[in-house]
Amino acid sequence: MFALIKREVRDHIVYFIGAAAFSAVFIIMAISILHNYDLRRQPPAFSIVLGIPAITIVIFGICAMGSTQMYLDRTRKISALLSTLAISRNRILLARIITGILAILTLLVPLIITAVILMRFVSFLFPFPMFPGIVFNISVTVFLMAFACYCIGLQAGWNSNPLTPSLGALCLTCILLPLIIVKGFGLHILVILVLFIVASLLRTWHTFMTTSL
Amino acid sequence: MKTLIKGLALNYPVKVFATGLVVLVLLSLPLFWMRFTCETSLFFRMSNEAKGVSIAPSLLVPDELEKDPNVVSPSRASANIRYQRPMSLGIFDYFIARLPGGRFTNVYLFKSYGEWMYFDIKTGQLVHSYLEEQVMPDKTPFRKKVQLYIGPEGVSETADKALGRFINPIIDHGWTDVMQRQSRELMIFDKKLRCFFKIDFNQRTTTKGPKIGKESPVQKPIKIGRLSKNLWLFEDHLSWIPPQIKSSDKNQSNKPIPIIQTYLNHDAGPYLLVLDESGEIGLLDKESLTIAGVSGRLPAPETYFGSKSTVRPRDLLDYEVLPLILTTYFFEDPEEVRMAFGDMSYFFKRKPSRVEKNYLGIFATGVSRDGSALALTVFDEKGKEIESEYTKFNKQEGLRTTPVNSGKAVFFEAPWASTLTIGKYLAENLHPPILSIASYFTASAFEADAGHRALFFLPNSFIAMKGRERPVNFAERFFSALWLILPSIILAILLSIRVSKDAVVVGLSENTRLYWIIGTLAFGLTAYITYRLTRPKITLLTCQNCGRPRRPDMAKCHRCGSKWNVPELIPPAWRVLNGTEQIDDSSTTDEEKTGVE
Repeated sequence: MFALIKREVRDHIVYFIGAAAFSAVFIIMAISILHNYDLRRQPPAFSIVLGIPAITIVIFGICAMGSTQMYLDRTRKISALLSTLAISRNRILLARIITGILAILTLLVPLIITAVILMRFVSFLFPFPMFPGIVFNISVTVFLMAFACYCIGLQAGWNSNPLTPSLGALCLTCILLPLIIVKGFGLHILVILVLFIVASLLRTWHTFMTTSL
Repeated sequence: MKTLIKGLALNYPVKVFATGLVVLVLLSLPLFWMRFTCETSLFFRMSNEAKGVSIAPSLLVPDELEKDPNVVSPSRASANIRYQRPMSLGIFDYFIARLPGGRFTNVYLFKSYGEWMYFDIKTGQLVHSYLEEQVMPDKTPFRKKVQLYIGPEGVSETADKALGRFINPIIDHGWTDVMQRQSRELMIFDKKLRCFFKIDFNQRTTTKGPKIGKESPVQKPIKIGRLSKNLWLFEDHLSWIPPQIKSSDKNQSNKPIPIIQTYLNHDAGPYLLVLDESGEIGLLDKESLTIAGVSGRLPAPETYFGSKSTVRPRDLLDYEVLPLILTTYFFEDPEEVRMAFGDMSYFFKRKPSRVEKNYLGIFATGVSRDGSALALTVFDEKGKEIESEYTKFNKQEGLRTTPVNSGKAVFFEAPWASTLTIGKYLAENLHPPILSIASYFTASAFEADAGHRALFFLPNSFIAMKGRERPVNFAERFFSALWLILPSIILAILLSIRVSKDAVVVGLSENTRLYWIIGTLAFGLTAYITYRLTRPKITLLTCQNCGRPRRPDMAKCHRCGSKWNVPELIPPAWRVLNGTEQIDDSSTTDEEKTGVE
């Protein structure tokens, strides 16, 4: 299993490098915003100008990773080759999903640690917990949303036509992403995303297990 | 366990349900944005005339002031729908609800680093910090920071268990107003302890009132003091202007000025307004801390399908209650008496020797769930309804003007309104019919505000509006509601016929076909897309018996039931032999022999 994950990571190392790079950019932005923080002023405009496209690129990147994993498997017959060895298809897919989760965590874990530290700094300014649970809520929602987009990539990528994985995944991500705007970061969105992820994984699993290699 | 999970994952129904859920989520989102765009455009296109309502004279001002000969314009209570619809989206609501004073925060006040109040759940006490103005012996003023811990048993400068614990306190939100804070008095109601508390910061005492009795008209208070909802969505939508007289000051060029000074800060004088879960507004006597009576109730706006007689706070997108009091200030000079509407004591340089506050009544407004209609009602000091006004649109028909309820006018009277209404209606009808019917039954179950973020159950759809209609004959109301989703039902029937035909072609079993037909009737377009994504992808062959396409993976033709017409396999008469091998005559059959011959 470990060897499979290692192989998946090596094959998609560019996504891990990208995740680490974006994580660093976001951390620098967050520190810079807090450094110049003033209650009386609006947040600096560059944070919005850079933030929104950066988040969009990250989410599309995660979706593209899922899509690429499945598309390359389908076209290069990686699973077909691996299945000739003593490896089950279950394990191949599981290793792939774990790699996806690792890529998302590469992006989010440093960010969450930074956010927690920064919130501790901010909490010194207030005599009471000003926004309890806000970092947890946002982190969990962003993780689930990123994972849901990754799942969309997995589903759209299992296609031998190169146009469907890229355009299909892009369109479906564009549809799913505004769910955060509609529902915010509360319990409702968590329930919807968890159900969506479970359903997507079941569908991917079914497709992957039943399609001839 | 592993086998079970694998078995479940590879199960066809599981795949169908999983695909269905993915399709439902992904289809609900574009439909949501379509409805949102149409509803927002409809609201913004509504004429301003239909968004406001006023009552003049306001009927609460004593006659000696209202009918004063110098009065040039009477008192006026007015309310407007100033709805910022995008702010009701979840992402904004999440942060707004967590700001000081919001629904999901224990921080009641945060004006500056020296002035704040929050509820500490661990100790069960309110912690309040404020700046107290003091004078030094050399008469120089300075501001001292005071931090107090408040419990049901008392007030102290240090956290002490002896102060007791609040469990679920609600505070007077009007108190966050700087002028009300000057009174150094705060009213609290604890939902679990079911009694009111009066906190005196100067004396540092807590007065506990009796528990709410069963005979009290207010049983479950949800808000006290300033009664309003969604201040971020609707800022100051209710206002009141006193009777105006002409100014004698030439500099003001005879501009009308209030007959007496006015400053309304939601203070109800000797009472505190208490809003019950049922929509009743009670009056709490600030001295005895008991409910002294009822001051009115939240008004129900006229919506598309008429108005209800009673409405709960959760049924309204916004409400606001404005109490009116007449205050008389007596000073040391017995001849110096001043009157004001509301409380002006904050602005006086000299402290009055005595203050008399007379409660005159309240103005209450309520905004409908979809934000298209508003009602304004005036209640007198005894809680009796004097007058109600509803937002209306004056429709011009030739020379005649017909007033149309704004809840109806919003859908048809503004420019492009009909097109947008059709857009909204179509988006609602592309929604699964079963969820539309569920929206009908759960129409009043959702908080009005949450309805604007709904993806699956639609409390603001036409069918849900019908569900909230005044109770008439159930069957009549239900069948007329079904008419509203007729396009959706027709679409579901057409799609289910299509699914049924295709299921026969691809050879699904009779049971599976039946389930698909029921599923498509219930979920409409969602089920159809799910079917297209999950239908067996098999290249069909022509049946030699019936000539129609048949599945190659089935023993019998699923159309005519005939078996495969397989010709009997006859071994060839020839065989490749190597040099040493001999043909065994007995191994060949007679037939083969004949054949060879």
